[in-house]
Amino acid sequence: MLASGGFESTQRVIASGPVVESSESGARGLGIAYWQAASQVTRGSVRAGWTDDGGRLTLLGGASLLSFGAPELAFSGEIVSCRYAIQGGLLALRAGGSVTLAQRHADEEVELRVTVEEYVPRLAARLRAPGWTGALYAKAQSPLHAAVSRRYFELLASRASA
Amino acid sequence: MKVTVFGATGVVGRALLPLLTSDHELVAVSRSDHVREEGVRWLEGDAGSAADVARAVDGADVVYYLVHSLGRRDFERQDRVAAENVAAVCEDARVKQIVYLGGLGDDEPAASPHLRSRRETGQRLSAGAVPVTTLRAAMIVGKGSAAFETIVALVDRLPAMITPSWVSTPTQPIGLNDVCRYLAGVCGLQPAFGESFDAGGPEVMTYRRMMERIAVLRGRRPWIVEVPVLTPRLSSLWLHLVTPVGASVARPLIEGLKSPTIAREERLRTLVPFEPTSFDVAARSAFEG
Repeated sequence: MLASGGFESTQRVIASGPVVESSESGARGLGIAYWQAASQVTRGSVRAGWTDDGGRLTLLGGASLLSFGAPELAFSGEIVSCRYAIQGGLLALRAGGSVTLAQRHADEEVELRVTVEEYVPRLAARLRAPGWTGALYAKAQSPLHAAVSRRYFELLASRASA
Repeated sequence: MKVTVFGATGVVGRALLPLLTSDHELVAVSRSDHVREEGVRWLEGDAGSAADVARAVDGADVVYYLVHSLGRRDFERQDRVAAENVAAVCEDARVKQIVYLGGLGDDEPAASPHLRSRRETGQRLSAGAVPVTTLRAAMIVGKGSAAFETIVALVDRLPAMITPSWVSTPTQPIGLNDVCRYLAGVCGLQPAFGESFDAGGPEVMTYRRMMERIAVLRGRRPWIVEVPVLTPRLSSLWLHLVTPVGASVARPLIEGLKSPTIAREERLRTLVPFEPTSFDVAARSAFEG
């Protein structure tokens, strides 16, 4: 947890080779795979919806849990990434922060990474508040995020090997 | 080269033939009636019949496989049988390349029966010794394309639409002419042998956005409300009622709309380079077509 009240987290795995190509399509594919992973882990109860200006995760297609800006796609020789700015939703206390899905190719190693930066979860304990006030975040949302990232890595790996 | 096209009277087949006639000796095969064209030798035949296929591919260098049985009760089995048959006969006839048009999104774990069938067809074709070039496309924007015509009919006929959640699924539609240019471009192209390519259009959009873009082109302003409760079955019955597409075709199509159909790579753009057609231009061309 940062002094600003924002949260940061990173999950990463080392892959045996690139899972997407270095192109706009490859970068976009990282983003879409992540939302598919969210839907799969929650067995469809959390659904991803896209708009031209971004997307949102909804509960059963209704309440907006998180909304995102348009994907910011980047691809150079080494890094392919898709960054979504967090714009709001029930699980965000305020707009701000981002989710970045990236593939980094360096030397013989390919690293896949999910990075959340400066996200302020509504369910987390506030600064100087008792720890138990953030139990829902610590016991539910945070583990769910980790599970989604795991599924995301699995999805990418299975596609790469197909 | 001698080229045989199965599914030659389909939407893609009809548009592909003129691109091949100037450079190749063409045999066009179809189950249904057809209009005779100069430079094309027509054969009536079924891809599920070994005798018909043997007659059609005799001496062929390249075989285009543009057949599907969507709309039939057991389309998955029929497509599987036909693909196995064509793969085996092409191997015996020493065909050098099979070109297959599959579907984007067909490798998703939750792919619909229609998309699964497209994938399985590709696998059955590839099971033989003849190298297969697979092009995977999302919705084809062209006159006669079932998915595109369905969306157009919805926009044209309904002033207000209560739509299921699939309208928020992203897709990458491609113009009919563009997909045919890609198909013609890989004909006999050695680097494409045994490869699979994503054939995406130049724009990624949701189906909702597509409806809005079509509405602008048609001079309409439909009111679209998205609800989470419409099942594929209800949606397909609804489409059956308000569009020219029958429920047997609409249902597998709608089930496929739940999965994003986005290109994951762009190698084809390098291999067969040309300026892709925008959605609006392709749609206008379909309306005029």
